[in-house]
Amino acid sequence: MPDLFHSRIDLSLADVDLQVALDGNAEKRITGRRQAFASIPDYQERRQRAHTVRADVVANLDRYLEQFVQRVQENGFIVHRAADAAQAVQMILEIIRQNQGKLVAKSKTMVSEEINLNHLLEAAGLRVVETDLGEFIVQIRGEKPSHIITPAVHLRRGQVGQTFHEKLGVPLTDSIPEMTAVARKMLREVFLSADIGLSGVNFGVVETGTVCVMTNEGNGRMVTTVPPVHIALMGIERMVPTLDDLALMMSLLPRSATGQKMTVYASLLHGPRRADERDGPTQRHLVLVDNGRSALRTSPLAEILYCIRCGACLNACPIFREIGGHAYVDGKGAGGTYPGPIGSVLSPALFGQAEFGHLARASSLCGACKEACPVDIDLPKLLLRVRAGGTQIETRHTPAHVPGYLDVGLRLFAWVAKSPWRYHTAQKLVGIFSRVVAPSSSWIKLPGMTGWGYSKDFPRPALRPFHEQWSARDKQASQEPVGVRDLPEVEPDSGSIPSAPKLLTSVAERLARFDVELSALDGKFTCCKQTELAEKIWALLQERKITGIMAWEAGSLPAGLLACLREKGIRIVHDPNPQVEAGLTGALAGVAETATLVLPGGPGRPLTASLLPQVHIAVLKAEDIVPDMLTALKLPEVRQSAATALISGPSRTADIEMTLTLGVHGPREVHVFCLVD
Amino acid sequence: MPETVQLFITCIVDTFYPEIGQAVVSVLERAGVQVEVPKNQTCCGQPAFNAGMRVQAREMAIQTIQVFEAAPGPVVVPSGSCAAMLRHSYPELFAADETWLPRAKALAERTYELTEYLVDILGVTDLGARFPGPLTYHSSCHLLRELGVDRQPKALLGAVQEAGGSPSENFTLVQNLPLPHADECCGFGGVFSVEHPHISAAMLERKIANIESTGAPTVVVCDAGCLMHISGGLHRRGKKPRVMHIAEILAKR
Repeated sequence: MPDLFHSRIDLSLADVDLQVALDGNAEKRITGRRQAFASIPDYQERRQRAHTVRADVVANLDRYLEQFVQRVQENGFIVHRAADAAQAVQMILEIIRQNQGKLVAKSKTMVSEEINLNHLLEAAGLRVVETDLGEFIVQIRGEKPSHIITPAVHLRRGQVGQTFHEKLGVPLTDSIPEMTAVARKMLREVFLSADIGLSGVNFGVVETGTVCVMTNEGNGRMVTTVPPVHIALMGIERMVPTLDDLALMMSLLPRSATGQKMTVYASLLHGPRRADERDGPTQRHLVLVDNGRSALRTSPLAEILYCIRCGACLNACPIFREIGGHAYVDGKGAGGTYPGPIGSVLSPALFGQAEFGHLARASSLCGACKEACPVDIDLPKLLLRVRAGGTQIETRHTPAHVPGYLDVGLRLFAWVAKSPWRYHTAQKLVGIFSRVVAPSSSWIKLPGMTGWGYSKDFPRPALRPFHEQWSARDKQASQEPVGVRDLPEVEPDSGSIPSAPKLLTSVAERLARFDVELSALDGKFTCCKQTELAEKIWALLQERKITGIMAWEAGSLPAGLLACLREKGIRIVHDPNPQVEAGLTGALAGVAETATLVLPGGPGRPLTASLLPQVHIAVLKAEDIVPDMLTALKLPEVRQSAATALISGPSRTADIEMTLTLGVHGPREVHVFCLVD
Repeated sequence: MPETVQLFITCIVDTFYPEIGQAVVSVLERAGVQVEVPKNQTCCGQPAFNAGMRVQAREMAIQTIQVFEAAPGPVVVPSGSCAAMLRHSYPELFAADETWLPRAKALAERTYELTEYLVDILGVTDLGARFPGPLTYHSSCHLLRELGVDRQPKALLGAVQEAGGSPSENFTLVQNLPLPHADECCGFGGVFSVEHPHISAAMLERKIANIESTGAPTVVVCDAGCLMHISGGLHRRGKKPRVMHIAEILAKR
């Protein structure tokens, strides 16, 4: 079987660093996901609801798309619809040219990988910089992402340090915080000087025309806030009908992807900067990419379009754990875009059964992927359909990619098994023949080339198969059925069922929960009275020797706060300023269950105040803490804003060896002062 | 009048492990049911189905459906993946076939995996079995994830008495040692283990390491495919632990 896929697999299996990296990924991610879901006892029910929501979107794609496009346009996005990859690239190039763009700052988007955007933009003379830490690492190494969520999961810290040393000229280090700091510094320059910010889209909300982008590091917020032009790239199927559905997906996606209750950042985008705003892009474009999706809707593989790209199936998959993302190559040995179980269905579905159909054969069909999928996609069923022909299931012939020996062997086996007489004769013959091969052992040592013999021995078939023994069984001598003692009913395993979540009905309960959740995210929560606020903030700044802050305007903060800080000698600016070390903002609301701050942009409320500085200080009123995400999403101010940031703790990454590091692109510290007057 | 069940013995048990078949019969009889083994049964067609060869899979499925149509009552299968094939894959296989779909579904509806039948249908957990422990249990993938059967075999094993050591008046239950990552695939996957032997070997290696880490001399499974794979791997490596089908444990007294 010396084909390119098998050769690539063998390379992976022999790569010791890769094996260590992949084991670490699987262990941390599987545990993390399980722990995260323990906090929502109705997980299975949510999963079924999510499945239904996604099924509805895919079944009624045209109608939803029409409504979504209309709302997004009303909100102020310029919408472009690309039928295929080439058209999408052309449209993006056109937008960039119209704006005389030279530097494109990019946050993670799998669609851009799918349409090979980076290379084509570079070929057109543009500089394209990936700003997600993992993507940045693979970009400077000249590689493709090996995972849809953690692109550099195939690397160990030493390899990343070596890459940084070679490509960026920094001293060799294996300290993850040091490497992260290097990337932060370099990429900060990119954010500030980029003409174009390019992002993906996690969800498009049909009822509100909201474009939702979720990231942890803060690069998603940067590219959608700082450069003058924002282009969002979205697969046409990534819609949810309502805000309720968005809240549902927000409870599932981060838990499945990284074991977080919520991503650190979610941007809810409705349109470009308004005349009275101090930051935000002046143009927002949405490029909707079909690239084979519409055609898939009526095929046996339609269910794969339900995917929300969390990567949980990759982490759960024992095959991905052995071979890593780069081994999922096409027939010519070139790397594909989507690895793992999802890729083994999606790649043949979108890019061709002939080129990618073999991937689905590298699965033991163990079902760990389906079990991990937050929208309950029946991946084993789809993998089997790909094996049987993919979008066209073969009902007459043997499909492509079935190895010749298997084709012959199974045809013969089926012919034998169709006739009980042939079957029984064959059993008899193998029973006798195997005793010629292995006369003195109950095991047969098959050669490695048989596949089986590579790592295990084969049991010697019985001389008298069961059916023969059964026929000869003396019915008279059969045991009389014995009485079985009555036993209590078996109790279902109750150990793993968590208790129902507390309803956060009172302000005090919500406040306490917010505190607990924020602390778990390494944020700082302080309750105080309004009269103490200025003093406490000043003390915090003093402690960090910070003398200047970028703040929301006085009208959007508690009365007298800025005046008080000014009196104490703090310099205050309102325009985006990358030199300032602390940002001071209010918050429209806080979400207790995830410690999320809800910050709608608007006049006097620059979004960059919570993004550019190292330290973010937010003032939140206790009565503004709402119990759950849905309540926050439905606040009218969110819907009315050009952009709203949802912030849950300090900026973080785990892109190098799954090791949590704070302060990548956004603030390293988040301090919430909660007014309890 | 005891209920009559139709035993679908599966091709692997029939051909390689007739002793498991005997154990299954004695366990079912001890649980108070009468066992019949329809004569013309062969293979459910899973190997061809998993290979993507639906033409051949259909031929074998039709053979199986016909055999059991002539045999009324619950169909009991001592292998998770074969039971899952009958219950879930037959309806998939005949989804576009008006003639065979209802017949496939009728069989699917009366098909049970052995431990599922014992615990959920018969309400039995204690079969009075005695076996020298300790044991450790591997959760076969199709059994666990396609059929959702996990507590049933654990309940049955939880009622097995210790047969080791000196005879004593006070029976103690056999020790069940938790297998780390019990729900991780052993790397069999039918034709997968032949098409991708190197990946399969790496998965098997991890399963064996986990089994050895328990120190249990006996690994229990509810699927003859996993049994063949894990025991073949242990034998090749000269390792001690023995893999047994749950019926072989439950049949011991």
